[in-house]
Amino acid sequence: MPQCIPYSEALAAYAPCEFRQPAADQVSTDELLRDFHPDHIAGSMSPLRIGPNAGDTCHTELVRLLQSDARIDEADLAGAETLETDVLVIGGGGAGCAAALTAAKRGARVMLTTKLRLGDSNTVMAEGGIQASVEKGDTPQMHFEDTTKGGHHHVDRPLAAQMVMDGPKVIRWLIQQGMQFDVDKYGDLLTRRAGGTSAPRVVHFRDYTGLEMMRVLREAVANSNIEVLDYSPTVELLSNEDDHCAGAVISSLKNCSYMLVKAKAVILATGGIGRMHLNGFPTSNHFGATGDGLVLAYRLGAKLRDLDSFQYHPSGLAFPQHLAGTLITEGVRSAGAYLLNAHGERFVDELQPRDHVAAAIIRECRQGRGIRVSDDSVGVWLDTPGLELRTPGILETRFPKLLQLGRKAQVDLKLKPILIYPTLHYQNGGVVIDVHGRSTVPGLYCIGEVTGGIHGRNRLMGNSLLEIISFGRRAGRHAAEYAHDRAHTRGSIEHVSDLRRTLTLAGLSMAHEGPLLFPTYAKFESDSDYDGLHRSKRE
Amino acid sequence: MGETGETLVNLNINGRSITAPTSLSVIQALWHSGYPRVKSIGCLQGVCGSCRVMVRHADSHEVKTGLACQLLVEEGMQVSFLVFPNPTHHAYDLTDIKSSWEVQARFHQIFPEADHCRHCGGCDVSCPKGIEVERGVELAAKGRFSEAGDLFVECVMCDLCMTACPEYISPNHVGLFSRRVSAYFHIRPSNLINRLEKLRKGELQVEI
Repeated sequence: MPQCIPYSEALAAYAPCEFRQPAADQVSTDELLRDFHPDHIAGSMSPLRIGPNAGDTCHTELVRLLQSDARIDEADLAGAETLETDVLVIGGGGAGCAAALTAAKRGARVMLTTKLRLGDSNTVMAEGGIQASVEKGDTPQMHFEDTTKGGHHHVDRPLAAQMVMDGPKVIRWLIQQGMQFDVDKYGDLLTRRAGGTSAPRVVHFRDYTGLEMMRVLREAVANSNIEVLDYSPTVELLSNEDDHCAGAVISSLKNCSYMLVKAKAVILATGGIGRMHLNGFPTSNHFGATGDGLVLAYRLGAKLRDLDSFQYHPSGLAFPQHLAGTLITEGVRSAGAYLLNAHGERFVDELQPRDHVAAAIIRECRQGRGIRVSDDSVGVWLDTPGLELRTPGILETRFPKLLQLGRKAQVDLKLKPILIYPTLHYQNGGVVIDVHGRSTVPGLYCIGEVTGGIHGRNRLMGNSLLEIISFGRRAGRHAAEYAHDRAHTRGSIEHVSDLRRTLTLAGLSMAHEGPLLFPTYAKFESDSDYDGLHRSKRE
Repeated sequence: MGETGETLVNLNINGRSITAPTSLSVIQALWHSGYPRVKSIGCLQGVCGSCRVMVRHADSHEVKTGLACQLLVEEGMQVSFLVFPNPTHHAYDLTDIKSSWEVQARFHQIFPEADHCRHCGGCDVSCPKGIEVERGVELAAKGRFSEAGDLFVECVMCDLCMTACPEYISPNHVGLFSRRVSAYFHIRPSNLINRLEKLRKGELQVEI
């Protein structure tokens, strides 16, 4: 990377001003992505050699995860406690809670297991809002067109259509759970635009939409008859002799033991993979986002899609170091904040979809027009003082969380701009599902970020909070009915023996175990507190 | 000075002596020193409430509470992670409250301790978000749920106020109850209702 302009020099040259020339951005999105988007870094991809997606290419670290050895053997299950439920939900974020609440409401016995605590998820961090076409000048059709266009026309169209049609009902359901939204003086929902939307459509609660959603859903689950197992990462799914999913093997971080949960239907809602730090990028993701669901579903034979496509959010905080990767809501760009390079020039239409804006930021930095703090920290300005100048008071009223972040970074965002750089944010692809959230494996439902298809190869702001509730409720409803008509079957980890045979035949290493459960720097594998859960320590 | 010219400080986390650059948070300092830690880490952005800690700064005898992902390391600092308390014993289902006229009566059935506040200020001191917790409880007990709920906008449900309260009031759950009933009974946006009607009548479809 060529030398960018030093921070102090760039800051001295900066002055807030009301008008700045829009970017003369002539380059096509395709060209920009090919040359600068991290998905296209040369040499970062390899082909999958086993499983339903053999032959597809994706990031080498993801290939290693999907072709990893299991964490357990048959021997680990001898004497393990066995529990039973109708519907087992794996994951305690927004999608998992919505699914669990809906299935329980339909009369199913529901168990929800989560790696950490209930609500520890990416949902809680979502700031921008949730898309639903509620304004007069907007329609579900426009929402659909925006979603498919944003996803580069690579979306599963029936899924996207279902999601946009669910939008208004999702908002009503959330209000019925006790979630608040920002309203005007007549009580109408306030809406705002997002990158790639053709109408104001993002409803929100300040810049705390995800926090408000998660604390309400967590409270609703805690006050229901859903049995919650926390600190209980899932290490394997169970399959029966018809190759249907029949439950899961759960490990407990509390007593270092394994449990078998027999279930008539399993709903996987484990989220994304930001904490794998693909291509060495910082991430905006939660500590537990290690792609566990992908490998669990893949081993059982579930088909995946678009695994080579990730979203790098344009505005991750680049500096100071203790906050690097922290997300700055896209809402501030939709409200009219500009992005500026070291010369104070706008270099991209700030409301282009996220992949386009992220690639443009990387271009500015690679070509020496970025701002440099150290070898680890380069970025471009997010011009909050300019926004404040054009709309006095907007930061205080609409973006309190952002101002607080500024205070932590010791920057008064009303006076000084802040340095941003793209951060690994979202897994666009994932498990292939239908409109009920069913994967290609009978009995296995998948919802939320672990799935693929709805957002194609690029997700719009506000569509993930919509997706998790829309499909969470769909899967919860369907799974409850599916479970109602069935008896428990004998589940085993027979598929793990098949996996090991396949790995050996393909000449693949068994040195890596999956799911990862935690980022490498948490040092789970060497933490003596959890010796009982480490294969190397048991043998 | 560290490798990159940063100032290094010595501190103690859960009984372990650690040396780390001043630019790091307590959790980053743990990782930096290579100590394993799996529990009590969450969003790393101060909104999930997982990383509750007690902290004593070098120049003070006072023990404070905070969130480890938001706390920058300092020379001589002593930090201790707090486990989560048991879930609150207050249980309710919004659909059991038949009308907004009943909310106040039901509140006192669900949270009978809310009237017993001793005004010790423990909740206010423990809150890492600077919320006026005690005042929120007082407002809720008076039936002013909308006002009470507004005070808890930034609440991350870290349960520190619950841990601090000698009367087992569970102030954060009082705050959340106040917010939830306000939405459940009073948010009725006409633009949303209008759109739902159009959808119900089948007037809006998506052409795939």
